[in-house]
Amino acid sequence: MNRALSPLSLFWVLLVTATLFLPPDRAVSAPSPDEQEARAILLEIDDLWRATSSQGTVRMQVKTANYTRTMRMEIWSKGKEKSLVRIVSPLKEKDTASLKTGNTMYTYLPKTDRTIRLTSGMMMSSWMGSHFTNDDLVKESRLADDYEPGITFRGKRDGREIIEFTLRPHPDAAVVWGRIVMTVTAQDHLPLFASYYDEDNVLARTILFSEVKTMGGRLLPAVLKVVPTDKPGEYTELVYETLRFDLDLPESLFSLLELRRR
Amino acid sequence: MQIVFFALRNFNRSRARTWITVGAMAFACAIMIFYASLLEGWLAAMEKNAVSMDLGEFQIHAHTFRDDPDLYKRITGEESVLARLEAAGFAATPRLYASGLAAAGNSSSGIELRGMDLVRERLVTSLDQHVWQGQWLAEEDHSGVVLGRRLARILNLTVGDEVVVVAQGADGSTANELFRVRGILKSVGEGVDRTGFFMTAATFRRLMIVPNGVHAIVVKRQQATEDLVQATARLAQLLPGYEVRNWHQLQPVLARLFEMSKISLVIMLLITYAAVGILTLNALLMSVFERIPEFGVMKALGLSPWGLFAMIVVESMLQVTVAVCLALGAGLPLSMYFSRHPLDFSRFVQSSSTIAGIAFDAKWYCAVTANSVLLPILFLYLVAGLAILYPALKAAMLKPLAAIYHR
Repeated sequence: MNRALSPLSLFWVLLVTATLFLPPDRAVSAPSPDEQEARAILLEIDDLWRATSSQGTVRMQVKTANYTRTMRMEIWSKGKEKSLVRIVSPLKEKDTASLKTGNTMYTYLPKTDRTIRLTSGMMMSSWMGSHFTNDDLVKESRLADDYEPGITFRGKRDGREIIEFTLRPHPDAAVVWGRIVMTVTAQDHLPLFASYYDEDNVLARTILFSEVKTMGGRLLPAVLKVVPTDKPGEYTELVYETLRFDLDLPESLFSLLELRRR
Repeated sequence: MQIVFFALRNFNRSRARTWITVGAMAFACAIMIFYASLLEGWLAAMEKNAVSMDLGEFQIHAHTFRDDPDLYKRITGEESVLARLEAAGFAATPRLYASGLAAAGNSSSGIELRGMDLVRERLVTSLDQHVWQGQWLAEEDHSGVVLGRRLARILNLTVGDEVVVVAQGADGSTANELFRVRGILKSVGEGVDRTGFFMTAATFRRLMIVPNGVHAIVVKRQQATEDLVQATARLAQLLPGYEVRNWHQLQPVLARLFEMSKISLVIMLLITYAAVGILTLNALLMSVFERIPEFGVMKALGLSPWGLFAMIVVESMLQVTVAVCLALGAGLPLSMYFSRHPLDFSRFVQSSSTIAGIAFDAKWYCAVTANSVLLPILFLYLVAGLAILYPALKAAMLKPLAAIYHR
């Protein structure tokens, strides 16, 4: 019963996944041992997390056994440290905004006209009702820092040339997943699936990527669907409606004052 | 009758020794009466904190709620369930639970929101009497909330301060509202102290968008004499579709602690009385050995071995009875005094110390019960009875002639 609420986790997923799976600009280097190649791909992805800045709108649909709801939100990010999420609809939650600067997170609640500072302990908690886990928040760190990648399949599957690589956590890494299996297209490393296994090696959830299109000058999947294994029929779907990169966003955008702006 | 006369006469013969023995027994018995009363008082206070504040004697939930608490796992048609419980002789109160986040200033903390039925809660628990600062909830005060003591400290809140609550409503939306601290509870238990955030059921329903159903029904026997296990079975039969648990099942660690405390009392009694038993044995052995010629004469005059055995037993039991009277005279008033004026350990114990998740008061009251008085007395008779077996049997088996000439 003591799951602390952290709506920001979801927003983080939006921001992180928006940049996590951007196609690499450069081609993979000449053939090398699998592990080395897997690491190279992972490093590329890690580096691509850090677009200098981004801005976009996202539609999110959550379907659970008890409700289905759709939210639209606007997101901004600058570097690795700063990001802002503002809910556009539904009306009841309009202008609810979340700001992250460094390791500090704030949520502005328009109904009570209060800004809440969330401690790091709470950011690690699960977001009630969503299909995202605590680990989604931790993505501030580089995947390559916490996981050891290895290519586990390369070839044709379902008519597509793919590369499947498995990430296993370093023994001392503070992560919740026992294993992550990622499938990307062989040609431009566009993500297709990501399967997350818990410490008991049981599949906990799958993220499906689809609707690849050019957004902000980059080719990327516009739809992410998170499907939890233990809750049949439930999912959370994120649809990137617009996305732009490398904008000149002012520092003041990521301030507490801006957070309260309606 | 003659035996009792002899026993009475002998009681007065070696006065110093008799009174030392009686004094030792009386002292041990008085101390044990006081110790048992103190233990009973401590257990009663723990049980009161566990049962009368939060747990109740029984709790009813929808199946799987306790293993995986969820806003949607509710008992529906609660009014009819409550009516059935009341008709079956139980007092019952519904509760609503949800998890959320409370924030004040720069602090925030995970909380357990609790929606309370103010009228019925009073029939089952004494939470409303357990307010440390401010006041308990009031139906007309929609923005007033009552907090657990540690939670108030974590958030640095005092009565009258504002606190923001954020949670996820039943429709998936972000529930958030500004409340005012109406009261802060005394220490109840780890869970309530750290995360307890109490509001009226109406406020909870509005905030969390839960128009009907409840998450738990807390139940109390109206006749405390009914056996807990029997009453649990009766409740389970009454409400077949729900999970019924008594407080021993809800708090097994605490229930075991209670059992162990009772065993520890028996062990303490045995240890203390072992010393008394040795002293009694020694005194009686001496009194038998120094009277061997006398016993020989008595036997020669026709007193049967069993008569002599009975005389020594009655003699000792007389001493024990005098010791018990003295022990009652000292131990009872002492225990009664401390049942009104508690031993105060608050200087040594933290204000919110808990055992098995249940707060215990730093002020210890004695509780004088039949158990706390009779058990030490019973054990004293038992131990003294065992101690005199050997000297009494030895006297009974004396040969008259050899005994008369014994030097």
